[in-house]
Amino acid sequence: MAKLISFDIDGTLETGDPPGRITMDLVRQARDLGYIIGSCSDRTVGMQKRMWETHGITVAFTVLKHCLDQVRAAHDAEHYVHIGDTNIDKYYAELHGFTYFFPDESIDHLWQAE
Amino acid sequence: MAAANEYKWRREKDGLGVWEHRGKVAVAGFGHSPVDRRWDGVSMDKTLGAYAMLACQKAMDEAGITADQVDGIVCCDSHIAGPSGGSASKWAPRPYFAPPYDSELGLTLVNAEWLIKQMGFKNVKFAPTKLPTIGEMVGMASQAVGDGVCSNCLVIYPCGNLEGRYRRGGENAEDHARGARQWTVPWGNHGGNDFINIFPHNQYCLKYGGKHDDLAPYVINQHRNGMLTPWGFNANHGIEPITVEDYVTSRYILNPLRLWDCDRPVNTATAYLFTTAARAKDMKQKPVYVLNHSQHNFKQRTTQPDLDEIELWTDIAAKRMYEGAGLGPKDVDIFNPYDGYATMSQFFLEGFQWHGVKRGDALKFYAGDIRVEGPHPFNSSGGNLGTGRVRCAMYTDAIEQLRGTAGKRQVTVRAETALAAFTTPSSGGWIMFGKHPG
Repeated sequence: MAKLISFDIDGTLETGDPPGRITMDLVRQARDLGYIIGSCSDRTVGMQKRMWETHGITVAFTVLKHCLDQVRAAHDAEHYVHIGDTNIDKYYAELHGFTYFFPDESIDHLWQAE
Repeated sequence: MAAANEYKWRREKDGLGVWEHRGKVAVAGFGHSPVDRRWDGVSMDKTLGAYAMLACQKAMDEAGITADQVDGIVCCDSHIAGPSGGSASKWAPRPYFAPPYDSELGLTLVNAEWLIKQMGFKNVKFAPTKLPTIGEMVGMASQAVGDGVCSNCLVIYPCGNLEGRYRRGGENAEDHARGARQWTVPWGNHGGNDFINIFPHNQYCLKYGGKHDDLAPYVINQHRNGMLTPWGFNANHGIEPITVEDYVTSRYILNPLRLWDCDRPVNTATAYLFTTAARAKDMKQKPVYVLNHSQHNFKQRTTQPDLDEIELWTDIAAKRMYEGAGLGPKDVDIFNPYDGYATMSQFFLEGFQWHGVKRGDALKFYAGDIRVEGPHPFNSSGGNLGTGRVRCAMYTDAIEQLRGTAGKRQVTVRAETALAAFTTPSSGGWIMFGKHPG
């Protein structure tokens, strides 16, 4: 069963405001490693979709920050991860059964092939 | 340079009558720096100090005066977005610099003394310290010019933002909520209007009917007006308009206050030039006259105000303003109340009875045509919600509407008087502008 990574945008992805540590190339690598990927942000869903389209990345979900439960309901995964830079990310991730990571070197292991 | 903290300039009592300087003071120029999301801590041309200087220069250029002609500086010398944040606003995501560079002045702080030195204002004789927020500063400047304390007075309002969690300084940085804070901010909230206005807003919906999300048309229109404001954050940073769906699905910051009910902290500075009506006639721009200024600072009965208090306070504020301006609700063409939290505006709208809106009518009014092109161009400025936490859009829009230079925001109704404010229901100030002095 696949694993799932949810990306916050602002402060997490390089396209965010402020820009975060995770590049779009890194997102593509996650996809290529077999992760179910998508975004979970306070940006509107429309803005999230346009961001992914701009970078030519097809994602499985685009949801609002407090809606990670919808991701969990819609996607069967072995492990659910949310990466975000604020305490709000941590709060909603843990509320909905996701493992939370701050976007620093603590996430590097996610990109290492098992 | 005179420190004028003892100067009695406030109009914060009932029954003061028509303002003695009505129509004798004018705004002759304004200037906005760029509006950034935050200072990056590196770019020295984008500090709050650099932006304050830029805003001053723009205001002087617009009016057509030089630094030598400025004799008054009214600059908010406090921290992020003014002193209303208290110790919480003394915050930075880094330690302050070690001596001899142990000052944030020019970086995240600005004051009159620093500006005078940096910009070479040689003839300043009025530069008070420990100033209130912009809502009262414009009144102070108006009174000072009217009283002859100074003649060409720059009002500067810096609003800063840095990386990291907003306003997590002072008590908000502590691990404990001490004293009365245990009842109001046990989770570390900064105790701003988000919390203060939630209870009365809920009471409002219970008393008059309607629901929180009936604010959606107002918030969406504020964003729309913001996109029509060329200097604002939204118009310059690819912010897209929001829809009703976006609004009603956004997360709660504090139920029922939604994300889109809150303004977006920014890093920017704004300046206005107040002068005598006589001098303004010879300056570059069409003068916009000050018809009155008033302030209020009400004492609340408990830790949180309730609807009755807020309605009483806004009634009193309206009465003071109308009395001092010699005008009534039907005389006000442009109405730009504060909207730092969307839940606040309805109290002002109803208190001032703009366009006949009475208590309990605001949500229905929002559902009508409040676009700038329409018959009820409510808050044509876009306010904080549309331009970022500048706290000055209300004033700039009022000036532009009366000049007839508001561009795509120019209202189609009469634009000869304008009310603007940065204020909460409990404390702050209002100012009335006129296209004509009389």
